Amino acid sequence: MRQQALRSVYELAKSNPKVLFIGSDLGAGTLSDMKKELPAQFFMEGISEQHIIGFAAGLAKEGFLPYVNTIATFFARRAYEQISLDIGLHCLPVRLLASGGGMVYAPLGPTHTAIEDLSLIMNIPNFKVFAPADANEMKLLIHASAQDDSPYYIRFGKGGERIVTEEYESFDYMPKIWGNSQSEAIIFTTGILLQHCLDARKKLDELGISCSVVHFPYLSNLNLESIKELFNEKTIILCAEEHVPKGALLTAILHGFMQIKFNISNLHAISLPASFSHKYGNQNDHLEINGLTGSKIALKLQFLLGKPPKSKL
Amino acid sequence: MIRYSEMSIDYKKESREIKLDLRSKQLRNLVLDALSGGGRGHLGPAFSLIEIIRALYDTVLLHDPANPTFAKRDRFILSKGHGCLGLYAVLSDFGYFPKEMLNNFCGFESILGGHPESATIPGVEFSTGSLGHGLPFGVGTAMAGRLLNEKWQTYVLVGDGELNEGSIWESAMHATQHKLGALTVIVDFNGLQASGQIDSVVSLTPLAEKWEAFGFKVYEVNGHDTKSLETVISRPFNDIGQPVAILAHTVKGKGLISAENSNDWHHKAKITFEEIETLRSELEQI
Repeated sequence: MRQQALRSVYELAKSNPKVLFIGSDLGAGTLSDMKKELPAQFFMEGISEQHIIGFAAGLAKEGFLPYVNTIATFFARRAYEQISLDIGLHCLPVRLLASGGGMVYAPLGPTHTAIEDLSLIMNIPNFKVFAPADANEMKLLIHASAQDDSPYYIRFGKGGERIVTEEYESFDYMPKIWGNSQSEAIIFTTGILLQHCLDARKKLDELGISCSVVHFPYLSNLNLESIKELFNEKTIILCAEEHVPKGALLTAILHGFMQIKFNISNLHAISLPASFSHKYGNQNDHLEINGLTGSKIALKLQFLLGKPPKSKL
Repeated sequence: MIRYSEMSIDYKKESREIKLDLRSKQLRNLVLDALSGGGRGHLGPAFSLIEIIRALYDTVLLHDPANPTFAKRDRFILSKGHGCLGLYAVLSDFGYFPKEMLNNFCGFESILGGHPESATIPGVEFSTGSLGHGLPFGVGTAMAGRLLNEKWQTYVLVGDGELNEGSIWESAMHATQHKLGALTVIVDFNGLQASGQIDSVVSLTPLAEKWEAFGFKVYEVNGHDTKSLETVISRPFNDIGQPVAILAHTVKGKGLISAENSNDWHHKAKITFEEIETLRSELEQI
């Protein structure tokens, strides 16, 4: 996903001299071809997240389109005030490409995992926040971003994620739907968890349980109005996100349901816990233990629907 | 190491002793108009930096009050946003907005708040207030000029207390790495921060050597001597080269016996009409 994003920035830069890439000591191999062919549009700066945000804002104020890449939590935690004031307050077209969203960097510990990044950035006025599901969606999003003057925060996965979205012609900001209005359950999700939610849908289908999945790549406006025919007050709705419980997708759904005056008594959620993890392993280990893999999500819905698996004993 | 400052000159003493001319007093009276209208504000910082901003707008900057955003203008960024009353006085004097607006400083519908905002005030390049933001932005502005093959200069005015912020030094390293010769940092070096003398809080000494060590060409100047400021700040455009740091030695609250070197007048949230009148008479007497 990250490779696709950076390649897409390079492609944009070839045809638009205002497109710039800015990294913070990301390694010598990062976009080495762009560095060689478009050196004036390539900046590999030091380990200075506060500086690179202000630097990008100064460039954007003068008409450039900076795409800034570093680890998600180094944006959201380290440079939050710069992101809020230098970019958000001035509503400048800086694109933050946030590597390692969620538990991607689990083996590196809690200093590197991004468990609250979405909530932090989603609460900055003017920002548009995205969590694409795979490289297909990422490519479309990066190309769409070049036509928009808003500030962007784009959360990446680990890379090499399974391709689960179709190759649409363009990125359209609307929720993506797998399923229909006849489903007993519906899962709302975002980012790379989509693949796990689709796995859950498949497992449930094999058990004769109908379940739809809605993926929100664009988190700043869920457009729930556009999908409200998919569910009613009897539908079991499950929000699944790789984030602490408050402030991101679940909070946005609650606000959206308030706006459309929808009863939330059948709304449920699974997420990362509201705590720093002191376990390592890999991203999937953390998704598994927190109930965010396909089989765990399916099991959760079976219980919520009153159709628990029969005991083998 | 090459030192650019003339150590034989006692800039602190000079900045204390220099007399203000009529224009400097008029600009200070505009600051007092705003303080009177708003009943609050940062007086000390404004009176500290007003000659620096005056020198920039009178002589150094390519700027046009009738067209504040014309592309080829020089860029001035007041990183020390709490010194905004000095900037408002100079901008209003040049006609960027009517002087009458100063009387509504900090009013609910006013364009002039306690820190400057680019979205509302003609002539303000960048909204500042929280410290340490202006220089990173200025490095970006200077780099943009290079990429666009333009010849604008970028000037960033920072406070000495503001130099406590780590982002300043992150940007200083990058400005040197990129050889941003079109970037000038001016330090309003009045020696005070909110908790007292800078040397008693976090000493900056030796400040000139610090900037030199970060790769800047350093000058020192009496920050209330307009002619010297104009001479030191003005220089031919130089895209590729050493960025410049100017240590402008100033007196916080300069021009008012009761406010000079006093943190009591750093910021006041309640200022009476009588206090303003006393300050005006002090200004007349110097």
